[in-house]
Amino acid sequence: MVILWENIVIAMLAFALLYFLLDRYAFNKLYAVMEKRRELVKSQMDEAAQTREQAITYVEQQKQALEQARQDAHEIIERSKQTGAKQAEQIIELASEEASRIKTEAVRDIENEKNKAVSALREELGSVSVKIASKLIEREVQNDNVQEELVDQYLKEVGGRQ
Amino acid sequence: MHDSPIIKFGGFDLDLSALIMLLVSGAIVFILARLSVRNLSVENPSKLQNFMEWVVEFVQNLISSTMDLKKGKAYISLGLTLILFIFVSNILGLPFAIITDLPANFEVFGKTIEATIGLDPGQYAHVLWWKSPTADISVTAGLAAIVFILMNYLGLKKNRKHYLKHYLEPFPIFLPLNIIENLAKPVALAIRLFANIFAGEVLISVILKMKFFGIPFLAAWQGFSIFIGGLQAFIFTILTMVYIAQTTIHEEEAH
Repeated sequence: MVILWENIVIAMLAFALLYFLLDRYAFNKLYAVMEKRRELVKSQMDEAAQTREQAITYVEQQKQALEQARQDAHEIIERSKQTGAKQAEQIIELASEEASRIKTEAVRDIENEKNKAVSALREELGSVSVKIASKLIEREVQNDNVQEELVDQYLKEVGGRQ
Repeated sequence: MHDSPIIKFGGFDLDLSALIMLLVSGAIVFILARLSVRNLSVENPSKLQNFMEWVVEFVQNLISSTMDLKKGKAYISLGLTLILFIFVSNILGLPFAIITDLPANFEVFGKTIEATIGLDPGQYAHVLWWKSPTADISVTAGLAAIVFILMNYLGLKKNRKHYLKHYLEPFPIFLPLNIIENLAKPVALAIRLFANIFAGEVLISVILKMKFFGIPFLAAWQGFSIFIGGLQAFIFTILTMVYIAQTTIHEEEAH
């Protein structure tokens, strides 16, 4: 086995040439693609992390909104219950007031009617009794004022006894 | 022993077999790399692209185990070329060898092959054309020379003060020892690679002498040779990176 210095030089030249060719025409592109993929993966992972964070905030917000809505609903129900009770009370009160008013009016009307009837009856009775009396004593007794006063007095006594 | 097809060319000894085999392995590596980057895709890589990316990552890991990857980024292409070229070279001699028996004064391109000069008529020279280029110590010496030049150049350029100071450590009297150590590195690289691959091919030709009985041994040895080829490529590459790291990187903790 002999060592040829020409072979050494040829091997060095061949290797150097291969190195430059590969570096220039093959590896550079490969590195670029690998770098690109690394960036792609990194950006996707960042994006995923961001999305997850957003999702967490959204869920939190939704929870709060739900809680708020539940509270609101509860309040509304409470309030409507209170209003309903109040209204019922008012209606009952109004109704009882109305009822008592109608009752008093009715009582007064009855009183009035009674009084009217009594006075009408009294007048009727007075004139009827005067007529009866005048018929009885037509001839002897003059139709003077004294007698009429007497009759009125009696009738008042009759009316005062009621 | 087989002879090499050497011709005299303008005062130079040209080894045609080394030339051809260097050309073939370089072409195979280049075509492989070009095919793998033909349809580059970020999201849907082809199988070959996946394989090439795996090799790139393998080399990246290898470099990052010897130095900071930020500084080592520039050497990824070097490591890739080394590992691919040496692996392909190691494998090339495994499937077959081409040996011709040449008569006296056989001529190629009008030049006489040296080994056939002065042969009697009826005598033949066994000339080996197809082999692993790394089974030639001149070729592995060339690769080791590149590593040697590169590591000393990079050491002088990037780390001059500590690189030079390193020769006088731990005491100035160690200077010859340090120089020998430095020179021994490429020699060890060249001889290790050459011896492994050459021995593999020698053993293959020995097994072939067993004719049919040798088939199972040959199968086992071929498989093992592929493993050795990969291993030697790996060792050569990682040692290159270790040497470059040693000369270029000055670690404060070490002193």
